[in-house]
Amino acid sequence: MSVILCRQEPVKHPFYFEDLGVHLYSSQELCYVIYNNPLLVMNDFVDDHLIQFIREELDQVFFSQKLENWKKSDEDPDELLFMILKECDYYTAVEINRFRQQVAAYRKLTPPQFAKAKGDYLFTKGQYGRAAEEYERLLEKPREKGMDDRFVAGLYHNLGSAYACLFLGEKACHAYEKSLNLVKDDRVLKKICYLTSWNPSMPVGDRTRSLITEEMKEQCVKDVKEAENRAENAPKVLQLGEIFCREPDKRLEKAGELVRRWKQEYRGMI
Amino acid sequence: MDGLIIGLDLCDSYTRICCHDREKSWSVPTVVCRKKEEADSWYVGEEAYAYTLAGEGIIVDKLLKLTAKEGTATLGGTKYEALELLKIFLKKILEIPKKEYFREDVRQLVITLQKMDAKLLDGLMYCADYLNIPRDRVHIVSHTESFVYYVLNQKKEIWNNQVAAFDLSEDGLFYHELKVQRGLKKMTVIAEEEALEESFNLDVLDNASGMKLADKIMCSCGERLLDRKLFSTIFLTGKGFERQDWAGNFMKLICPRRKVFVEQELFARGAAFRGGDLLQERSASSFVCICSGRLHSTISMKVLYKERESQLVVAAAGDSWYESKSTVDLILDGQDYVEFIVTPMDPKQRKVVRIPLEGFPDRPDRTTRVGLNVGFLDEKTMAVVLRDKGFGELFPSSGTVVRREVRI
Repeated sequence: MSVILCRQEPVKHPFYFEDLGVHLYSSQELCYVIYNNPLLVMNDFVDDHLIQFIREELDQVFFSQKLENWKKSDEDPDELLFMILKECDYYTAVEINRFRQQVAAYRKLTPPQFAKAKGDYLFTKGQYGRAAEEYERLLEKPREKGMDDRFVAGLYHNLGSAYACLFLGEKACHAYEKSLNLVKDDRVLKKICYLTSWNPSMPVGDRTRSLITEEMKEQCVKDVKEAENRAENAPKVLQLGEIFCREPDKRLEKAGELVRRWKQEYRGMI
Repeated sequence: MDGLIIGLDLCDSYTRICCHDREKSWSVPTVVCRKKEEADSWYVGEEAYAYTLAGEGIIVDKLLKLTAKEGTATLGGTKYEALELLKIFLKKILEIPKKEYFREDVRQLVITLQKMDAKLLDGLMYCADYLNIPRDRVHIVSHTESFVYYVLNQKKEIWNNQVAAFDLSEDGLFYHELKVQRGLKKMTVIAEEEALEESFNLDVLDNASGMKLADKIMCSCGERLLDRKLFSTIFLTGKGFERQDWAGNFMKLICPRRKVFVEQELFARGAAFRGGDLLQERSASSFVCICSGRLHSTISMKVLYKERESQLVVAAAGDSWYESKSTVDLILDGQDYVEFIVTPMDPKQRKVVRIPLEGFPDRPDRTTRVGLNVGFLDEKTMAVVLRDKGFGELFPSSGTVVRREVRI
């Protein structure tokens, strides 16, 4: 248990970290983002723009110069991340060491494995649009060594899930079907079944349709019903109900605030 | 050196003015008068009395008490706030040294008061704004602090033992005492004051029996206060000591084995010395002063710096409580409170004050930035404001604010 004294950093122009869709206002936030998102910062994160932010906004002229010199030399670019973590005095030496090991472990992955891991990480962060982009980029490339059918099927499956989270049903269904064509998996089939039960006019190929049994359809309808029931009692829905029980003025104000937040959340996903 | 360094002893009865490194001083009754027929004609001091006696003006006295209680006075059918009257008074009296020395610029203005009342201090700062004197050039100190600065600017033989001052005026009878503790790094001056209950009206000095009684009162005070202590010097100040014919026995009591001075400008001169001291980075009289108007304890916090625990001093003993303000941002790591360490002059009495951050949201470690503001309401009360600043857009601020007043 302790208290960290913050250095004075009168940041006027925050640094925008596109992968997470957030602005960073301090050296501590910068360290937090690096430490907690290694997959997102391992390739070209420390660019001229970030160095300019460190120099001009965080007022660390000498340190930015150090970063620039390192960047120009052909030394290990990952060191730039460790240098930032060390300089900002936010993480302990033990934690920085742990981060170093994590980065080293990721570096051992093949490029397709790394790209998939990055896509998966973006998905867990709710960045569905960026995750889908990552998967698509990988799928567009010619197959590399280690990209067997199971791996590619997994990519299509995750791509489908990312589209589904963005409410792009048709694209999701298409990706799931491609996954299914490579490796037959009942879990993927069930996801297609869910999509068709929500939207019966979903364009599903005859081959796939023939694989969906009556029993599976019944189970899907049942699951969807249960999910709808659960959703009715979800805290967010209850909160919405609470807003609409208020006086008209406050109701509109709160509802407006909520819609604004939803929009923001959705924009963040794309 | 450009500009004046003014010491102003502001009391409800009299105001004394003097300038650093200048011989001349002025004593003006703290009254303001407006001419009955002319709303813009204001007079202060003896002139104010003269117009009032002539029936041409309306006078207001006790300006400090009136300001402290945010009172008003009605002059010629117009209601004036006390602060407004105080502004007029200060403007007029500051013109005296300005005219005398042909200087407009005030380099330092040190006002010394008997009682450091927060409302009065705020009021005086507003007056400074009105008089176009930048706030960083205005300092308000207690009489005790002025006494310390006056004494410590005299020869060492004056203060090599304890020093006392009796201040007898229409505002009361006050006793001040100081002793110097010589340390390895810096000297520490510890000064105390006492408003004596035995205070009497100065009118009693106009008749023989009253003089006798006053002498007796002073003797009893002297015996009680000076007993078993070694004094180098005793100062007498205030209107009551303008003449000492009434205090024969008291003088006999205090004079042996020590120096005794009557110094009417003791506080004003001390304030001017303080003004001079403020302009020097490392002054000859550089010492830690613990007295009324100054903090008696050091307030610190344990913080991590470069992975090492260190002490962050929020306010140091000897700082002026009115001027002592700190603002820092902290990041909490695994704790939902903020702790202050209060260390008085006697370190054995050290205590820890913990303020829980009630209402702050639960977040992962090191993702709550707390804006800490510390100020003082008086020398014994610290006001703490803790604000949840969140952690940028990653963990937005909840807007929660915790306010506490802590007795130190």
